Amino acid sequence: MSEHESHESIARLLPLAAAGALDIQEQRRLEEHARECLVCRRELEIWNGYSQGLRQLPQPPIPAQLMERTRTRLVQERAAAAERRWDELTLGALALFAWTVGLTFWFVARIVTGGELVVMGANLVRFGTWSAGSTVLVWMTAAVAAIALGRRRRELRRAL
Amino acid sequence: MILAATMNPEAFSGAQDAIARMRRGDPDAFAAMISRYQHRLYRYLLRLVREPAAADDLFQQTWLRVMEKIGRYDARRNFESWLFSVAHNLAIDAWRGKRGESLDDAGDAGDSGEPPSAKLRTGDPDALERLLDFERGAMLAACMHELPAIHREVLTLRFEEDMKLEDIAEVAGIPLSTVKSRLKRALEGLRAAMDARAPGRKGI
Repeated sequence: MSEHESHESIARLLPLAAAGALDIQEQRRLEEHARECLVCRRELEIWNGYSQGLRQLPQPPIPAQLMERTRTRLVQERAAAAERRWDELTLGALALFAWTVGLTFWFVARIVTGGELVVMGANLVRFGTWSAGSTVLVWMTAAVAAIALGRRRRELRRAL
Repeated sequence: MILAATMNPEAFSGAQDAIARMRRGDPDAFAAMISRYQHRLYRYLLRLVREPAAADDLFQQTWLRVMEKIGRYDARRNFESWLFSVAHNLAIDAWRGKRGESLDDAGDAGDSGEPPSAKLRTGDPDALERLLDFERGAMLAACMHELPAIHREVLTLRFEEDMKLEDIAEVAGIPLSTVKSRLKRALEGLRAAMDARAPGRKGI
């Protein structure tokens, strides 16, 4: 590499040198070159001036009550999250309750009807028919409950 | 000063303790960490988005996201890098949410600082030198303000936050080589902007 090429390649490293972003080899090359090159030494001083200036930029003022407002939002969000967890637990418990009731009624219906209750050609007290019917009912109830809870949560959020 | 506090071993151990308490949902731990990082995080966001109102909102959203994700935070990672990367991702999402606006189209910040002359106090022998420093700093800040967001980001993380290159790479989600090339372009852009404002000036 000619002296000029070497100078050019070192000059390209100068901004990164001021940013402390050179690896050991690059740093060593630069130091060796700068010992002999006045132009690069002066350039490095200029870049170091930028580096120093950037470390001492005027600091922006913090908006009023930023910390307090952030804390308030965190408290509100935590309360909302707790409410969501409660809603989910409630829905889970309701679904379990619905299944238990459905199963109980199935047993009772089988005992009362002697295991046969045919409506429009389908035996309603067969386990498959009964569980399909109760599944549809449970999911419809859960959907209605979820919509109602969602509406209530949106109203609460608007109120906050 | 802020940096010194974070480098202090006692402060580091205090931070680790606060992180552990945050995982348990302790509101005082959140308050302590918000207080600890409020200047740095707000400054980073403001340099990134340039609008105080947007930075304010992103600051709050960042802590909401921290509260949501702290359970999944890997304690072996640097908390600062993680915190700033959360803020970075939210800023990117906010930009994407603005239709027709790119990363570099955010508006100008309002002039909320006091006038430079207000810094000059009568009878203070170093006042003129401080005023000149302030003017130079204000000019540099104004030039930085004109740079693209990706360049402002690496400059603030490297020089104001004093982050290692590896940590900057983690925050911005880019390879180390890209951090270096961005830093170089950012500094060159800054110098070009300073030269354009004050032709013939050597240095800052």
